[in-house]
Amino acid sequence: MVKFKIKPASLQWATFARVWYLLDGKMQPPGKLAALASVRLQGLHKPVYHQLSDCGDHVVIMNTRHIAFSGNKWEQKVYSSHTGYPGGFKQVTAAQLHRKDPVAIVKLAIYGMLPKNLHRRTLMQRLHLFPDEDIPEDILKNLTEELPQPRKVPRRLDEYTQDEIEAFPRVWSPLALWPGWFVKTCFSRINSMPKGYRR
Amino acid sequence: MAAFNVLLSGCGRFLRGLLTGPTVTNWARPPARAFREVVEIQEGKTTIIEGRITGTPKESPNPPNPSGQCPICRWNLKHRYSYEDVLLLSQFIRPHGGMLPRRITGLCQEEHRKIEECVKMAHRAGLLPNHRPKLPEGFVPKTRPRLNRYLTRWSPRSVKPIYNKGHRWNKVRMAVGSPLLKDNISYTGRPMVLYH
Repeated sequence: MVKFKIKPASLQWATFARVWYLLDGKMQPPGKLAALASVRLQGLHKPVYHQLSDCGDHVVIMNTRHIAFSGNKWEQKVYSSHTGYPGGFKQVTAAQLHRKDPVAIVKLAIYGMLPKNLHRRTLMQRLHLFPDEDIPEDILKNLTEELPQPRKVPRRLDEYTQDEIEAFPRVWSPLALWPGWFVKTCFSRINSMPKGYRR
Repeated sequence: MAAFNVLLSGCGRFLRGLLTGPTVTNWARPPARAFREVVEIQEGKTTIIEGRITGTPKESPNPPNPSGQCPICRWNLKHRYSYEDVLLLSQFIRPHGGMLPRRITGLCQEEHRKIEECVKMAHRAGLLPNHRPKLPEGFVPKTRPRLNRYLTRWSPRSVKPIYNKGHRWNKVRMAVGSPLLKDNISYTGRPMVLYH
């Protein structure tokens, strides 16, 4: 175990340096992205966290245009705002807001998850959101780690190989019910007819 | 499975012929039951439209639970599938995305409803891209930017925005997933949340 009377500057630097994280938002729910991002922005993922020690990191989220909401939230979730002027109450659905600004949903989600104090604005300045994959060069150079995506994206039917499709067992066969089904329905129809019809 | 529709309509006509004619018929043998493909051959002035019998898919041998009544029980899949298991769901749908009838597939009522709900959710999540409805000829649809979604209970066009979310003790929640799948076993140990 290393013991120091005075902590060397290099160790202090390594402990408190600001790290840049990358998060891909493709097919991810914005709430889960925001939870991860807010934890990293505040520095809660570090054992040396303290509210006043400014130990938060930078988070870069890309592909915010391709986020996925669960349920019918695109139509049901409503974002409200007031301009301050009379008659200025605006309510827009998530779909409309996303069309107008593809970054706004993730931004508002993270803003709501950060602590409601004066640090919030500085932490939001350390957040970088991009609707698509193109990120400026200077930010790309700073990135150190890509965080794993919170949601496991299911595979589409055309993404399975033919071998996997064939290896999956066929669960029913179309003619397993014949002839029992035919006989049962046939006789039930005959029995349900009026008596004069049957010979 | 266009041959399927041909097969089913043939069966209906046969039944109707059986019931409208004299009840006691001595049919020599019923027509062979199999999938057919319709083949049209032109020979001079005569056109022959023939239904040639093709290979019929059979259930895979040795199901783990042969005493089960419906395919789900026979293969021990009860409470174990979801909208993501597209390989299973695709066995119960038609080429254009519709469900097959229960009397053909042999599912029990509750499993048929669960599979139907999972198929709807899979369609809305975009997991079945090649089972889209047939569009009229020469129709080019406008490609609008599609929103990604998953676990959608209601059809997107039928849902209204929640303008008044309600107070803390009486919130209007948003439905996620389906209550039919409430009994599914969870491997993560976390309970399934149906209302966010």
